[in-house]
Amino acid sequence: MIERWLEEIGVTSNRAKAKAYGAISLSSLLLLWILATSVLEWIEPRVLPSPAQVLRQFFWILTEPFSGLRLPGHVWVSLERWGWGVFFAMIIGIPIGVFFAWAPWFKTFANPVFELLHFIPPFAYIPLAVLWFGASTATQAMVVFVAAFPSFVINSQLGVSQVEKIHVDAARVFGAGQFATLRRVVIPAAAPSIYTGLRIAISNGWMALVGAELVVGKVGLGFMISQGQENASVATIFVGVITIGCLGVTIDTIIQRSESRILPWRKNVMVNQG
Amino acid sequence: MGRIDAIRIASGMGAIVAWILIWAWLTRPGGPVPTLYFPAPDDVWTKFVRMWVRPYIGSTLIEHILSSLYIVLFGWTVAAVVGIPLGIAMAWWTKLKWIVFPIFQLIRPVPPLAWIPLTILWLGIGDTARMSVVFIAALVPWLMNSMLAVYSVDKLLIDAGKALGASDRQILMRIVCRTALPTLVAGARMALGSAWSTLVAAEILAATAGLGYVAVNASQLLDTDVLLVAMFLIGILGISLTALITIAQRFLAPWSFADVRGTNR
Repeated sequence: MIERWLEEIGVTSNRAKAKAYGAISLSSLLLLWILATSVLEWIEPRVLPSPAQVLRQFFWILTEPFSGLRLPGHVWVSLERWGWGVFFAMIIGIPIGVFFAWAPWFKTFANPVFELLHFIPPFAYIPLAVLWFGASTATQAMVVFVAAFPSFVINSQLGVSQVEKIHVDAARVFGAGQFATLRRVVIPAAAPSIYTGLRIAISNGWMALVGAELVVGKVGLGFMISQGQENASVATIFVGVITIGCLGVTIDTIIQRSESRILPWRKNVMVNQG
Repeated sequence: MGRIDAIRIASGMGAIVAWILIWAWLTRPGGPVPTLYFPAPDDVWTKFVRMWVRPYIGSTLIEHILSSLYIVLFGWTVAAVVGIPLGIAMAWWTKLKWIVFPIFQLIRPVPPLAWIPLTILWLGIGDTARMSVVFIAALVPWLMNSMLAVYSVDKLLIDAGKALGASDRQILMRIVCRTALPTLVAGARMALGSAWSTLVAAEILAATAGLGYVAVNASQLLDTDVLLVAMFLIGILGISLTALITIAQRFLAPWSFADVRGTNR
């Protein structure tokens, strides 16, 4: 039935059909939500608020301070904590990863500990971070750091170990020293893989940040959600969850799009593990 | 297996011993790291042994471990029961994929643990809340990999099956399900990893037992040694669960290791 109707209005290609079906599915979900909450009132607003209520809450938090800050303020605080964590993970993780590949003896020495720490989920570090730093920016930043660090190490190591040996040898023949080889040959060749590491680190860090903010803190998006839970306000939780999701997608899109600008020499590297 | 493996294992062990010695040296009485922030290895070991027999915040260590494992395995299994058939069906019937996939695309960017406050509000702080968060965390990898698993099936095999007169049902059961198993196992592993780490977060936020609960209480009571016991156990259990899946893969789909070894294909 839908099929024929779509073809009548001129939707024939598979891509367009997929989009049309998606639109139908999402809008019927929205319709169901409106029906169940506003129109038929099957579900109490205490349990599931209507879309209108969520929107109202959104604009309310946008204009009125919620526990001290408006929505952009919370977003900014979260972004700042996340930025510090990822930044430190990057400046520490990439050199260690490169060193892992460059000096195998160091890898033998450090890898068992790295593996064990890597296998402890970042959230398990939250209590330790709280113990060390209390309720400060450093706590959340440390959790983000723990979440982001391994993918920098793993991917820079992978990138360096995949550098063509002949290129390194060529540089040596032309008289490049250890450092020059590293800077001019190895790092550019490993950069795409490191960039993949950055992408993974960014999304892992974002996830860990939400966890850390749920547990500790007085501002931030995660705090907003947990505050919504305390106040039994599902609408606030929805606003927080939606904002977190949108920001996550936006950041990832920016990183993905800017890749070809930052690394113009990159063609296609199929390194995708973290 | 051979000399190279033996050397690797020996040097790994040596490295671990070296790290424990460094740790002990750093946290020695009067050492550079105060034990309030980071306990000495022998303290952690004593606490670990004692927690097996003496209950910590209500339960002995084994009860905490079992509580965590119970919830993670329950949520993971339910996610498999829902995710695998749905994923396969989505790959098989394109229209279903067109309808369901956008909803998943909408939910996927939200970190699973962001749902914790919502589940606590809806379901209270009992086991159900944690189970449903674990379920959400595990569902997406299960579903995505079941879908990818079907796509990974060689088109040639399906055509061969058709040419030999197999019905749709036979093709699905005898060709698709079997060749897709390795990807499915990878999904199982990812789902378990995601479930395990989300569970820890959920236990930190709302629980009455479990390793995450131990960790957060130890942090509040300044029991750093207990905190480290909990963290190590979380890590070791995570490694063990992953290892179990790899072992299961060896039994269920031994052919998935053939490619890694590099047979000529």
